[in-house]
Amino acid sequence: MVDVSQHELVPEHTLIDEEEVESMLTQYDVKRAELPKIKRKDPALPDEAEVGDVVKIVRDSRTTDKAVSYRLVIE
Amino acid sequence: MTETYAHVDDDVRAIVEDYNLPESLRHRIYETIEDRGGVDLEQADEIAHAVSSRYEDSRVEAHDPVGTVSAQSIGEPGTQMTMNTFHYAGVAEIDVTQGLPRLIELVDARKTPDTPMMTVHLEDEYAENRERAHEVVWQMEATKILALGDISTNVADMIVQVDLNEETLAERWPTVDDIDTVAQEIAETIEDALGVDTRRSETLIEFGPDQPSYRRLLQLVEELRDIVFKGLEDISRVVIRKEENEKTDGEEFVLYTEGSAFGDVLSIEGVDATRTTSNNIHEVYRNLGVEAARETIINETMETLREQGLDDVNIRHLMLVADIMTNRGEIESIGRHGISGSKDSVLARAAFEVTVNHLLDAAVHGEEDDLDGVIENVIVGKPVSIGTGDVDLRMGSIEADGGAADVELEPSDD
Repeated sequence: MVDVSQHELVPEHTLIDEEEVESMLTQYDVKRAELPKIKRKDPALPDEAEVGDVVKIVRDSRTTDKAVSYRLVIE
Repeated sequence: MTETYAHVDDDVRAIVEDYNLPESLRHRIYETIEDRGGVDLEQADEIAHAVSSRYEDSRVEAHDPVGTVSAQSIGEPGTQMTMNTFHYAGVAEIDVTQGLPRLIELVDARKTPDTPMMTVHLEDEYAENRERAHEVVWQMEATKILALGDISTNVADMIVQVDLNEETLAERWPTVDDIDTVAQEIAETIEDALGVDTRRSETLIEFGPDQPSYRRLLQLVEELRDIVFKGLEDISRVVIRKEENEKTDGEEFVLYTEGSAFGDVLSIEGVDATRTTSNNIHEVYRNLGVEAARETIINETMETLREQGLDDVNIRHLMLVADIMTNRGEIESIGRHGISGSKDSVLARAAFEVTVNHLLDAAVHGEEDDLDGVIENVIVGKPVSIGTGDVDLRMGSIEADGGAADVELEPSDD
Protein backbone atom coordinates (compact mmCIF):
# COMPACT_ATOMS: atom_id res chain seq x y z
CA MET A 1 0.00 0.00 0.00
CA VAL A 2 1.14 3.52 -0.76
CA ASP A 3 2.30 5.63 2.16
CA VAL A 4 -0.04 8.58 1.83
CA SER A 5 1.83 10.79 4.28
CA GLN A 6 4.86 10.83 2.00
CA HIS A 7 2.98 12.57 -0.81
CA GLU A 8 3.95 16.18 -1.28
CA LEU A 9 0.30 17.28 -1.31
CA VAL A 10 -0.28 15.80 2.13
CA PRO A 11 0.81 18.01 5.03
CA GLU A 12 1.84 16.61 8.36
CA HIS A 13 -1.09 15.49 10.53
CA THR A 14 -0.43 14.99 14.23
CA LEU A 15 -2.84 14.16 17.01
CA ILE A 16 -2.66 16.61 19.85
CA ASP A 17 -3.51 15.95 23.49
CA GLU A 18 -6.40 17.41 25.41
CA GLU A 19 -4.27 20.05 27.10
CA GLU A 20 -3.05 21.44 23.79
CA VAL A 21 -6.58 21.36 22.40
CA GLU A 22 -7.85 23.45 25.29
CA SER A 23 -5.11 26.06 25.01
CA MET A 24 -5.64 26.27 21.24
CA LEU A 25 -9.41 26.68 21.66
CA THR A 26 -8.83 29.46 24.20
CA GLN A 27 -6.26 31.13 22.00
CA TYR A 28 -8.60 31.32 19.02
CA ASP A 29 -11.72 31.72 21.16
CA VAL A 30 -13.65 29.01 19.34
CA LYS A 31 -15.62 25.97 20.34
CA ARG A 32 -14.48 22.50 19.43
CA ALA A 33 -17.42 21.98 17.09
CA GLU A 34 -16.55 25.14 15.17
CA LEU A 35 -13.22 23.76 13.98
CA PRO A 36 -12.90 22.54 10.42
CA LYS A 37 -13.56 18.81 10.21
CA ILE A 38 -11.75 15.75 8.96
CA LYS A 39 -13.40 12.37 8.42
CA ARG A 40 -12.38 9.44 10.56
CA LYS A 41 -11.66 7.40 7.41
CA ASP A 42 -9.52 10.11 5.81
CA PRO A 43 -6.44 8.41 4.33
CA ALA A 44 -4.06 11.01 5.72
CA LEU A 45 -5.28 10.69 9.30
CA PRO A 46 -3.04 8.85 11.80
CA ASP A 47 -4.47 5.38 12.48
CA GLU A 48 -5.01 5.92 16.17
CA ALA A 49 -7.20 9.01 15.69
CA GLU A 50 -10.70 8.67 17.07
CA VAL A 51 -13.87 10.65 16.64
CA GLY A 52 -13.67 13.76 18.81
CA ASP A 53 -9.89 14.04 18.61
CA VAL A 54 -8.23 17.12 17.15
CA VAL A 55 -5.40 16.90 14.63
CA LYS A 56 -2.85 19.60 14.13
CA ILE A 57 -1.96 20.16 10.51
CA VAL A 58 1.22 21.95 9.55
CA ARG A 59 1.00 23.03 5.93
CA ASP A 60 3.64 24.38 3.66
CA SER A 61 1.94 27.65 3.02
CA ARG A 62 2.25 29.89 0.01
CA THR A 63 1.84 33.04 2.04
CA THR A 64 3.88 32.10 5.07
CA ASP A 65 6.38 29.27 5.22
CA LYS A 66 4.44 27.12 7.63
CA ALA A 67 0.79 27.49 8.45
CA VAL A 68 -0.77 25.66 11.36
CA SER A 69 -4.35 24.54 11.16
CA TYR A 70 -6.57 22.23 13.20
CA ARG A 71 -9.28 19.80 12.25
CA LEU A 72 -11.75 17.93 14.42
CA VAL A 73 -12.11 14.23 13.66
CA ILE A 74 -15.71 13.34 12.85
CA GLU A 75 -17.59 10.18 11.84
CA MET B 1 13.62 25.84 7.94
CA THR B 2 16.43 26.49 10.31
CA GLU B 3 19.10 28.03 8.15
CA THR B 4 21.87 29.64 10.05
CA TYR B 5 22.81 33.19 9.30
CA ALA B 6 26.33 34.30 10.06
CA HIS B 7 25.25 37.73 11.24
CA VAL B 8 22.11 36.71 13.08
CA ASP B 9 22.84 35.60 16.61
CA ASP B 10 20.50 34.24 19.23
CA ASP B 11 19.84 37.65 20.75
CA VAL B 12 18.66 39.12 17.45
CA ARG B 13 16.58 36.02 16.88
CA ALA B 14 14.98 36.36 20.31
CA ILE B 15 14.05 39.96 19.56
CA VAL B 16 12.53 39.17 16.19
CA GLU B 17 10.76 36.10 17.48
CA ASP B 18 9.19 38.24 20.17
CA TYR B 19 7.05 39.91 17.53
CA ASN B 20 4.09 37.98 16.29
CA LEU B 21 5.20 37.56 12.70
CA PRO B 22 4.68 34.78 10.18
CA GLU B 23 7.63 32.53 9.41
CA SER B 24 8.24 33.90 5.96
CA LEU B 25 8.54 37.48 7.19
CA ARG B 26 10.93 36.45 9.92
CA HIS B 27 13.17 34.85 7.35
CA ARG B 28 13.01 37.94 5.20
CA ILE B 29 14.17 39.99 8.17
CA TYR B 30 17.07 37.59 8.82
CA GLU B 31 18.05 37.70 5.18
CA THR B 32 18.03 41.47 5.14
CA ILE B 33 20.12 41.64 8.31
CA GLU B 34 22.46 39.13 6.73
CA ASP B 35 22.81 41.24 3.60
CA ARG B 36 23.61 44.30 5.67
CA GLY B 37 26.31 42.38 7.48
CA GLY B 38 24.66 42.40 10.86
CA VAL B 39 22.99 45.02 13.04
CA ASP B 40 22.99 45.79 16.73
CA LEU B 41 20.14 44.80 18.98
CA GLU B 42 18.50 48.20 19.01
CA GLN B 43 18.42 48.32 15.22
CA ALA B 44 17.11 44.77 15.09
CA ASP B 45 14.27 45.74 17.35
CA GLU B 46 13.52 48.78 15.22
CA ILE B 47 13.44 46.70 12.05
CA ALA B 48 11.25 44.05 13.60
CA HIS B 49 8.95 46.69 15.00
CA ALA B 50 8.56 48.42 11.62
CA VAL B 51 7.90 45.15 9.83
CA SER B 52 5.46 44.11 12.49
CA SER B 53 3.44 47.30 12.30
CA ARG B 54 3.28 47.11 8.49
CA TYR B 55 2.21 43.51 8.82
CA GLU B 56 -0.51 44.33 11.34
CA ASP B 57 -1.72 47.13 9.05
CA SER B 58 -2.06 44.82 6.10
CA ARG B 59 -4.02 42.19 7.95
CA VAL B 60 -7.72 41.81 7.34
CA GLU B 61 -9.76 43.82 9.82
CA ALA B 62 -12.25 42.12 12.03
CA HIS B 63 -15.73 42.07 10.44
CA ASP B 64 -14.29 42.41 6.95
CA PRO B 65 -16.46 40.59 4.41
CA VAL B 66 -13.64 38.41 3.10
CA GLY B 67 -15.99 36.07 1.26
CA THR B 68 -17.55 38.86 -0.73
CA VAL B 69 -14.16 40.35 -1.54
CA SER B 70 -12.93 36.95 -2.74
CA ALA B 71 -16.04 36.40 -4.83
CA GLN B 72 -15.53 39.74 -6.55
CA SER B 73 -11.82 39.20 -6.99
CA ILE B 74 -12.30 35.87 -8.71
CA GLY B 75 -15.47 36.88 -10.49
CA GLU B 76 -14.12 39.93 -12.26
CA PRO B 77 -11.18 38.19 -13.99
CA GLY B 78 -13.64 35.38 -14.69
CA THR B 79 -15.44 37.69 -17.08
CA GLN B 80 -12.29 37.95 -19.15
CA MET B 81 -11.80 34.22 -19.51
CA THR B 82 -12.35 32.30 -22.67
CA MET B 83 -15.52 30.41 -23.17
CA ASN B 84 -13.45 28.04 -25.27
CA THR B 85 -13.47 24.65 -23.69
CA PHE B 86 -10.62 22.98 -25.53
CA HIS B 87 -7.09 23.92 -26.09
CA TYR B 88 -3.97 21.90 -26.58
CA ALA B 89 -2.05 22.93 -23.53
CA GLY B 90 1.65 23.56 -23.57
CA VAL B 91 2.19 20.37 -21.65
CA ALA B 92 2.22 17.50 -24.11
CA GLU B 93 -0.43 17.11 -26.77
CA ILE B 94 -3.23 16.46 -24.33
CA ASP B 95 -6.63 18.07 -24.40
CA VAL B 96 -7.49 19.85 -21.21
CA THR B 97 -10.54 21.89 -20.35
CA GLN B 98 -9.51 25.40 -19.54
CA GLY B 99 -10.81 28.82 -18.83
CA LEU B 100 -14.24 29.47 -17.42
CA PRO B 101 -15.60 25.94 -17.92
CA ARG B 102 -12.74 24.52 -15.88
CA LEU B 103 -13.18 27.07 -13.11
CA ILE B 104 -16.89 26.32 -12.93
CA GLU B 105 -16.15 22.61 -12.89
CA LEU B 106 -13.82 23.09 -9.93
CA VAL B 107 -16.08 25.20 -7.74
CA ASP B 108 -19.02 22.96 -8.63
CA ALA B 109 -16.89 20.00 -7.46
CA ARG B 110 -18.02 17.81 -10.36
CA LYS B 111 -17.57 14.12 -9.71
CA THR B 112 -15.39 13.72 -12.79
CA PRO B 113 -13.80 16.57 -14.70
CA ASP B 114 -14.52 16.96 -18.38
CA THR B 115 -10.97 16.04 -19.26
CA PRO B 116 -9.40 14.07 -16.45
CA MET B 117 -5.63 13.89 -16.60
CA MET B 118 -2.70 12.93 -14.42
CA THR B 119 0.88 14.01 -14.18
CA VAL B 120 2.83 10.90 -13.29
CA HIS B 121 6.35 11.23 -11.97
CA LEU B 122 8.66 8.23 -11.98
CA GLU B 123 11.21 6.87 -9.58
CA ASP B 124 14.91 6.22 -10.00
CA GLU B 125 15.84 4.39 -13.18
CA TYR B 126 12.28 4.57 -14.49
CA ALA B 127 12.67 8.33 -14.66
CA GLU B 128 16.01 8.22 -16.44
CA ASN B 129 15.64 5.40 -18.90
CA ARG B 130 13.13 5.70 -21.70
CA GLU B 131 12.70 1.92 -21.97
CA ARG B 132 11.89 1.59 -18.28
CA ALA B 133 9.54 4.57 -18.50
CA HIS B 134 7.75 2.77 -21.30
CA GLU B 135 7.22 -0.25 -19.07
CA VAL B 136 5.17 1.98 -16.78
CA VAL B 137 3.32 3.42 -19.76
CA TRP B 138 2.19 -0.04 -20.89
CA GLN B 139 0.97 -0.80 -17.40
CA MET B 140 -1.17 2.32 -17.43
CA GLU B 141 -2.42 2.84 -20.94
CA ALA B 142 -5.51 0.81 -21.76
CA THR B 143 -4.53 -1.59 -24.53
CA LYS B 144 -7.35 -2.65 -26.78
CA ILE B 145 -7.38 -5.23 -29.50
CA LEU B 146 -6.93 -2.72 -32.32
CA ALA B 147 -3.53 -1.80 -30.93
CA LEU B 148 -2.40 -5.41 -30.85
CA GLY B 149 -3.35 -6.79 -34.21
CA ASP B 150 -5.85 -6.94 -37.06
CA ILE B 151 -9.41 -8.14 -36.79
CA SER B 152 -11.16 -9.70 -39.72
CA THR B 153 -14.66 -11.08 -39.89
CA ASN B 154 -15.32 -14.11 -41.97
CA VAL B 155 -19.04 -14.06 -42.66
CA ALA B 156 -19.09 -17.32 -44.62
CA ASP B 157 -17.63 -19.37 -41.74
CA MET B 158 -19.14 -17.17 -39.04
CA ILE B 159 -15.81 -16.54 -37.34
CA VAL B 160 -13.83 -13.57 -36.11
CA GLN B 161 -10.10 -13.76 -36.69
CA VAL B 162 -7.58 -11.81 -34.71
CA ASP B 163 -4.10 -11.71 -36.13
CA LEU B 164 -1.80 -10.49 -33.38
CA ASN B 165 1.27 -8.51 -34.22
CA GLU B 166 4.31 -10.20 -32.63
CA GLU B 167 6.34 -7.04 -32.42
CA THR B 168 3.62 -5.16 -30.61
CA LEU B 169 3.18 -8.00 -28.15
CA ALA B 170 6.90 -8.10 -27.41
CA GLU B 171 6.91 -4.36 -26.94
CA ARG B 172 3.88 -4.16 -24.68
CA TRP B 173 4.71 -7.19 -22.54
CA PRO B 174 8.41 -6.51 -22.04
CA THR B 175 8.58 -8.70 -18.98
CA VAL B 176 7.27 -11.83 -20.70
CA ASP B 177 9.79 -13.53 -22.95
CA ASP B 178 7.54 -15.97 -24.69
CA ILE B 179 5.10 -14.52 -27.25
CA ASP B 180 3.07 -17.73 -27.05
CA THR B 181 2.28 -17.11 -23.39
CA VAL B 182 1.06 -13.62 -24.18
CA ALA B 183 -1.11 -14.84 -27.06
CA GLN B 184 -2.58 -17.51 -24.78
CA GLU B 185 -3.31 -14.88 -22.16
CA ILE B 186 -5.07 -12.73 -24.74
CA ALA B 187 -7.12 -15.68 -25.95
CA GLU B 188 -8.20 -16.39 -22.38
CA THR B 189 -9.13 -12.79 -21.80
CA ILE B 190 -11.34 -12.93 -24.89
CA GLU B 191 -12.97 -16.17 -23.69
CA ASP B 192 -13.70 -14.70 -20.27
CA ALA B 193 -15.01 -11.41 -21.57
CA LEU B 194 -17.15 -12.65 -24.43
CA GLY B 195 -18.10 -16.10 -23.20
CA VAL B 196 -16.98 -17.86 -26.38
CA ASP B 197 -14.52 -20.65 -27.13
CA THR B 198 -11.39 -19.65 -28.98
CA ARG B 199 -8.99 -21.58 -31.19
CA ARG B 200 -5.44 -20.42 -31.39
CA SER B 201 -2.51 -21.26 -33.60
CA GLU B 202 0.58 -19.17 -32.94
CA THR B 203 -0.62 -15.58 -32.95
CA LEU B 204 -3.87 -16.20 -34.80
CA ILE B 205 -6.95 -16.37 -32.63
CA GLU B 206 -10.33 -17.43 -34.02
CA PHE B 207 -13.75 -17.57 -32.48
CA GLY B 208 -17.39 -17.34 -33.47
CA PRO B 209 -20.92 -17.34 -32.05
CA ASP B 210 -22.36 -20.61 -30.68
CA GLN B 211 -25.23 -20.50 -33.14
CA PRO B 212 -24.65 -19.13 -36.65
CA SER B 213 -26.02 -15.60 -36.36
CA TYR B 214 -24.92 -12.63 -38.36
CA ARG B 215 -26.12 -10.20 -35.76
CA ARG B 216 -24.31 -11.99 -32.93
CA LEU B 217 -21.12 -12.09 -35.00
CA LEU B 218 -21.07 -8.32 -35.45
CA GLN B 219 -21.93 -7.88 -31.81
CA LEU B 220 -18.90 -9.98 -30.83
CA VAL B 221 -16.63 -7.78 -32.93
CA GLU B 222 -18.04 -4.68 -31.25
CA GLU B 223 -17.51 -6.14 -27.80
CA LEU B 224 -14.03 -7.33 -28.72
CA ARG B 225 -13.00 -3.77 -29.49
CA ASP B 226 -13.89 -2.66 -25.96
CA ILE B 227 -11.93 -5.28 -24.05
CA VAL B 228 -8.97 -3.91 -22.13
CA PHE B 229 -6.12 -6.41 -22.40
CA LYS B 230 -3.59 -4.49 -20.46
CA GLY B 231 -3.44 -1.28 -18.49
CA LEU B 232 -6.16 0.72 -16.79
CA GLU B 233 -9.50 1.16 -18.44
CA ASP B 234 -9.76 4.85 -17.57
CA ILE B 235 -6.48 5.83 -19.14
CA SER B 236 -6.84 6.15 -22.85
CA ARG B 237 -3.51 7.69 -23.75
CA VAL B 238 -0.15 8.36 -22.18
CA VAL B 239 2.41 10.87 -23.38
CA ILE B 240 6.03 10.75 -22.29
CA ARG B 241 7.96 13.96 -21.95
CA LYS B 242 11.46 14.70 -20.87
CA GLU B 243 11.51 17.47 -18.32
CA GLU B 244 13.86 19.17 -16.00
CA ASN B 245 13.78 17.99 -12.45
CA GLU B 246 13.82 20.97 -10.14
CA LYS B 247 15.13 19.05 -7.17
CA THR B 248 18.04 17.22 -8.72
CA ASP B 249 18.77 19.67 -11.53
CA GLY B 250 18.80 16.73 -13.90
CA GLU B 251 16.34 15.56 -16.52
CA GLU B 252 13.63 13.03 -16.00
CA PHE B 253 10.79 11.43 -17.91
CA VAL B 254 7.33 12.54 -16.87
CA LEU B 255 4.13 10.88 -18.05
CA TYR B 256 0.95 12.76 -18.87
CA THR B 257 -2.19 10.72 -19.12
CA GLU B 258 -5.50 11.29 -20.76
CA GLY B 259 -7.98 9.93 -18.25
CA SER B 260 -7.36 9.43 -14.58
CA ALA B 261 -7.10 6.45 -12.23
CA PHE B 262 -5.14 7.98 -9.41
CA GLY B 263 -5.41 5.22 -6.81
CA ASP B 264 -4.40 2.47 -9.23
CA VAL B 265 -1.51 4.43 -10.65
CA LEU B 266 0.01 5.26 -7.27
CA SER B 267 0.64 1.61 -6.55
CA ILE B 268 2.25 0.79 -9.91
CA GLU B 269 5.91 -0.17 -9.64
CA GLY B 270 8.13 2.67 -10.77
CA VAL B 271 5.61 5.45 -10.14
CA ASP B 272 6.77 8.08 -7.70
CA ALA B 273 3.84 8.10 -5.27
CA THR B 274 5.06 11.29 -3.62
CA ARG B 275 4.80 13.63 -6.59
CA THR B 276 2.19 12.14 -8.92
CA THR B 277 -0.98 14.22 -9.16
CA SER B 278 -4.40 14.13 -10.76
CA ASN B 279 -6.67 16.99 -11.81
CA ASN B 280 -9.65 15.08 -10.43
CA ILE B 281 -10.14 16.56 -6.96
CA HIS B 282 -12.39 13.71 -5.85
CA GLU B 283 -9.79 11.09 -6.70
CA VAL B 284 -7.20 13.05 -4.77
CA TYR B 285 -9.65 13.30 -1.87
CA ARG B 286 -10.31 9.55 -1.87
CA ASN B 287 -6.65 8.58 -2.03
CA LEU B 288 -4.81 11.29 -0.15
CA GLY B 289 -7.44 12.87 2.06
CA VAL B 290 -9.08 16.20 2.52
CA GLU B 291 -5.92 18.28 3.00
CA ALA B 292 -4.47 17.10 -0.31
CA ALA B 293 -7.81 17.84 -1.96
CA ARG B 294 -7.66 21.38 -0.57
CA GLU B 295 -4.17 21.77 -1.96
CA THR B 296 -5.27 20.45 -5.35
CA ILE B 297 -8.21 22.86 -5.51
CA ILE B 298 -5.84 25.78 -4.92
CA ASN B 299 -3.33 24.50 -7.47
CA GLU B 300 -5.94 23.82 -10.12
CA THR B 301 -7.81 27.11 -9.76
CA MET B 302 -4.55 29.07 -9.74
CA GLU B 303 -3.29 27.17 -12.77
CA THR B 304 -6.56 27.80 -14.62
CA LEU B 305 -6.30 31.53 -13.98
CA ARG B 306 -2.59 31.58 -14.80
CA GLU B 307 -3.17 29.90 -18.16
CA GLN B 308 -5.45 32.79 -19.05
CA GLY B 309 -2.95 35.38 -17.92
CA LEU B 310 -5.03 36.27 -14.89
CA ASP B 311 -2.54 35.30 -12.25
CA ASP B 312 -2.72 38.63 -10.49
CA VAL B 313 -5.62 37.20 -8.52
CA ASN B 314 -4.28 36.92 -4.99
CA ILE B 315 -3.78 33.35 -3.92
CA ARG B 316 -5.53 34.07 -0.62
CA HIS B 317 -8.87 34.29 -2.39
CA LEU B 318 -8.37 30.84 -3.86
CA MET B 319 -7.20 29.53 -0.51
CA LEU B 320 -10.40 30.83 1.04
CA VAL B 321 -12.47 29.05 -1.60
CA ALA B 322 -10.56 25.81 -1.01
CA ASP B 323 -10.88 26.18 2.76
CA ILE B 324 -14.63 26.59 2.55
CA MET B 325 -15.02 23.72 0.10
CA THR B 326 -13.15 21.32 2.40
CA ASN B 327 -14.32 22.72 5.73
CA ARG B 328 -16.59 19.81 6.58
CA GLY B 329 -14.00 17.14 5.95
CA GLU B 330 -15.17 16.36 2.44
CA ILE B 331 -15.41 18.26 -0.82
CA GLU B 332 -18.51 20.39 -1.11
CA SER B 333 -19.48 22.46 -4.10
CA ILE B 334 -20.05 26.20 -3.77
CA GLY B 335 -23.42 26.27 -5.48
CA ARG B 336 -27.00 25.58 -4.56
CA HIS B 337 -26.32 21.90 -3.83
CA GLY B 338 -23.38 22.68 -1.60
CA ILE B 339 -22.35 25.62 0.52
CA SER B 340 -24.91 28.18 -0.58
CA GLY B 341 -27.71 25.64 -0.28
CA SER B 342 -26.84 24.70 3.27
CA LYS B 343 -26.94 28.16 4.76
CA ASP B 344 -29.06 28.56 7.85
CA SER B 345 -31.01 31.52 6.62
CA VAL B 346 -34.06 31.00 4.41
CA LEU B 347 -33.74 34.42 2.82
CA ALA B 348 -30.05 33.91 2.03
CA ARG B 349 -30.81 30.65 0.26
CA ALA B 350 -33.77 32.12 -1.57
CA ALA B 351 -31.66 35.03 -2.76
CA PHE B 352 -29.17 32.66 -4.39
CA GLU B 353 -31.09 30.39 -6.75
CA VAL B 354 -34.58 28.90 -7.20
CA THR B 355 -36.15 31.51 -4.95
CA VAL B 356 -39.70 30.24 -5.00
CA ASN B 357 -38.80 26.65 -4.05
CA HIS B 358 -36.86 27.80 -1.03
CA LEU B 359 -39.59 30.14 0.17
CA LEU B 360 -42.25 27.52 -0.37
CA ASP B 361 -40.31 24.82 1.48
CA ALA B 362 -39.56 27.21 4.30
CA ALA B 363 -43.22 28.15 4.57
CA VAL B 364 -44.30 24.50 4.57
CA HIS B 365 -41.85 23.65 7.35
CA GLY B 366 -42.47 26.82 9.30
CA GLU B 367 -38.81 27.88 9.24
CA GLU B 368 -37.62 30.97 11.02
CA ASP B 369 -34.93 33.41 9.96
CA ASP B 370 -32.85 35.07 12.65
CA LEU B 371 -31.58 37.76 10.27
CA ASP B 372 -27.99 37.27 11.37
CA GLY B 373 -26.34 37.20 7.98
CA VAL B 374 -25.60 39.84 5.38
CA ILE B 375 -28.02 38.91 2.61
CA GLU B 376 -31.03 38.68 4.90
CA ASN B 377 -30.40 42.16 6.25
CA VAL B 378 -29.96 43.64 2.80
CA ILE B 379 -33.33 42.17 1.89
CA VAL B 380 -35.12 43.55 4.94
CA GLY B 381 -33.23 46.85 4.75
CA LYS B 382 -31.35 46.75 8.02
CA PRO B 383 -27.65 47.36 8.71
CA VAL B 384 -25.62 44.31 7.76
CA SER B 385 -23.35 42.68 10.27
CA ILE B 386 -20.06 43.50 8.59
CA GLY B 387 -17.57 46.25 9.19
CA THR B 388 -18.96 49.05 11.35
CA GLY B 389 -22.40 47.52 10.95
CA ASP B 390 -21.38 44.82 13.38
CA VAL B 391 -20.45 47.13 16.23
CA ASP B 392 -23.03 47.98 18.84
CA LEU B 393 -22.60 51.30 20.57
CA ARG B 394 -24.19 52.24 23.80
CA MET B 395 -24.32 55.73 25.17
CA GLY B 396 -23.65 56.42 28.82
CA SER B 397 -23.18 59.64 30.69
CA ILE B 398 -19.80 60.69 31.95
CA GLU B 399 -19.75 61.53 35.62
CA ALA B 400 -18.21 64.70 36.91
CA ASP B 401 -15.05 62.99 38.13
CA GLY B 402 -14.30 61.80 34.61
CA GLY B 403 -15.01 58.12 35.30
CA ALA B 404 -17.49 56.14 33.26
CA ALA B 405 -21.05 56.17 34.45
CA ASP B 406 -22.25 53.18 36.30
CA VAL B 407 -23.92 51.51 33.36
CA GLU B 408 -24.04 47.81 32.89
CA LEU B 409 -22.54 47.08 29.46
CA GLU B 410 -23.58 43.79 28.05
CA PRO B 411 -21.03 42.33 25.70
CA SER B 412 -22.40 41.88 22.23
CA ASP B 413 -22.64 38.22 21.42
CA ASP B 414 -21.33 38.50 17.91
